[in-house]
Amino acid sequence: MDDLKIGVYVCNCGTNIAHVIDAESVRAYAATLPGVKIARSYRYMCSNPGQEMIVEDIRSQGLNRVVVAACSPRMHEKTFRNACRSAGLNPYLCDMANIREQCSWVHSDSVAATEKAMALTRAAVLRVACQEPLAGLTAEMCPTTLVLGGGIAGLTAALELAEGGFPVVIVERADKLGGNLTRVDLTAPHFDSARDLVRERIAHVRSNPNITVMLHSELRRLSGFVGNFTGEITTNGGKPTHVKLGNVVVATGYKEFDAGRVTHFGYGKLPNVITSFDFERMLRAGRIETRDGRLPQYAAIIHCVGSRSEEFHGYCSRVCCMTALKYANELKSAIPTCYVSDLYIDMHAFGKGCEDFYKRSSEVKTMFLMYGKGDHPVIRRAGSGDDCDMLIEVEERLSGEHIEIPADLVILLVGMEARKDATDVARLVNISQDKSGWFIESHPKLDPVATTTDGVYIVGTCASPKDIPDTVAQARAAAARILAKIAKGKIEIDGVFAEVREEQCSGCRMCNELCPYSAIEFDADKRRSHVIPAACKACGACVAACPSAAIKGRHFTDTQIFAQIEGVLL
Amino acid sequence: MSYEPKLVGFLCNWCSYTGADLAGTSRIQYPPNIRIIRVMCSARIDPSFVLQSLGKGADGVLICGCHPGDCHYSEGNYKAMRRYPLLKRLLDAYGIEPERVRLAWVSASVGQRFADVVADMTERLRALGPCRVKTALQTDQIER
Repeated sequence: MDDLKIGVYVCNCGTNIAHVIDAESVRAYAATLPGVKIARSYRYMCSNPGQEMIVEDIRSQGLNRVVVAACSPRMHEKTFRNACRSAGLNPYLCDMANIREQCSWVHSDSVAATEKAMALTRAAVLRVACQEPLAGLTAEMCPTTLVLGGGIAGLTAALELAEGGFPVVIVERADKLGGNLTRVDLTAPHFDSARDLVRERIAHVRSNPNITVMLHSELRRLSGFVGNFTGEITTNGGKPTHVKLGNVVVATGYKEFDAGRVTHFGYGKLPNVITSFDFERMLRAGRIETRDGRLPQYAAIIHCVGSRSEEFHGYCSRVCCMTALKYANELKSAIPTCYVSDLYIDMHAFGKGCEDFYKRSSEVKTMFLMYGKGDHPVIRRAGSGDDCDMLIEVEERLSGEHIEIPADLVILLVGMEARKDATDVARLVNISQDKSGWFIESHPKLDPVATTTDGVYIVGTCASPKDIPDTVAQARAAAARILAKIAKGKIEIDGVFAEVREEQCSGCRMCNELCPYSAIEFDADKRRSHVIPAACKACGACVAACPSAAIKGRHFTDTQIFAQIEGVLL
Repeated sequence: MSYEPKLVGFLCNWCSYTGADLAGTSRIQYPPNIRIIRVMCSARIDPSFVLQSLGKGADGVLICGCHPGDCHYSEGNYKAMRRYPLLKRLLDAYGIEPERVRLAWVSASVGQRFADVVADMTERLRALGPCRVKTALQTDQIER
């Protein structure tokens, strides 16, 4: 090993660290540790002068390792790595000791906290001595994108990418494009035709030479890694075609909740209890009528069917409230004398223009009734003396009364749920699902369309219930992310990944199965396994599991962790 | 001087280490006996890390990962969970009280939970007294 010249920098973080920890003692102690050439303490290490201090010391003193005892590495590891890089030191030769979040902020005993800060700093010094310079890799980026699903989300993403000049393959299971939206008549809140929206998209997709549409098709296998995937696609169950792919957009959509699961609504038993999709069919046919062909004089709309319930789905399906208002308006305009009741738990009118739509809908004389969450209206056949087909019993919250509402037609607003085959899709492209079956994004706020698998994006209602504008925004966002990557030409792969020391590998293949990213391949000729760096996420599961200790987890090697153990305990 | 137990904690980066950081930002106090070592996933925690810690003078070891189903790497915590009972048997065979090692799920959003786990573990170790394996165990580092 080269002569160690470690610089240790103890941050005071104003008084955040220094009010509990005696930073000067920690600094003086660090100076006595093996290999330490310089130890300094400063008010704010992350400030420009703080970083400059490190850069200057690396340059003038020839430091080859840096330890910053400060806040959590989750906060500023990048900052200090960049400072090292700018001074010409490999960023992986820098380590941090977390003496703020995990020391000064959680302990009030100064003596014990200072002692702990010393131990953590010592661990970082011993560890950094074992750290190795690491370099990332680059790989080619195939410009072709696979879009799974030909609904509004998939169509939009495909068009955006194709208009950017890059090839797209749309794989759709059904025999036509358009998805769930082709079953919808008008959209809320502006009464635009859903069919026109989706037709326009399909026409553009069909005429774009960059887009290949594969109907009746399925992705059977996806191998490789970002920029370098290979997809195995079958059409009508025939022989698979292999396609080289750079990225994948998952836009597989949702399925509607099965209203028959809610017994007290009588769906499937009472002929005039229908779902929102049944009603859309009537609207598209241009005739609202009961099963026996009469115009309904009383219509009722029930929200949250399958949604916001402990029994079925806990989440809100997000589109039903505005759909209900749309129905109220459409019923009133088709049958002006119709008495329309709208039974909701809460009215969620959060979208652009939606609160205003709610206000306007109140003005068309819709009877709004509120029932309690956990409570449920019960529908029964009316008696012969009643002038309606059914009666809905409900504990009405606004009046506080138990009331009965007449109905000839009841529309159940069925929520969205994850498709049954979502688990297969998740396995296929290596992404996760939450407890409701929705695909999980990389970060719910800051990275909503990426996933934990590089190069795989989730858009639209396969990720969670959402309306058309949000779906389209996500589709375009994913396309933008992919276009940026294609524009870069090459992909950069982080230097932290696992590597198999082939001479130690016994070829047992235990790691092949263990890897959640299928990042370890077996070379049948050599009878050895090897890691595909771009697919490896550096979790280290294989490192700990290898019975021959043949796998090295870069930047989290056994030697480095043993040094840390020694450091915290000395 | 009274006995102060030494506790080494191996925390996964995504849930537990973040949870411990959150305890910090929320200023939730817990005993200073714990020394935290960050790994990317609880699946990385080799049983030898635990033995090495006890051999180097730790009185207890805490392993923390994401809750089952929440692993950043989808299933690493299940791997940690499966190794844990085997490790406990190994400890027993070495004559080390198995309760010196504990596996706990700590998510990124619960700083209080982390603080409670540390406080509880510290108290248990205080009751158990010092671990006497330091001299008996003498683990040799495995060269990797």
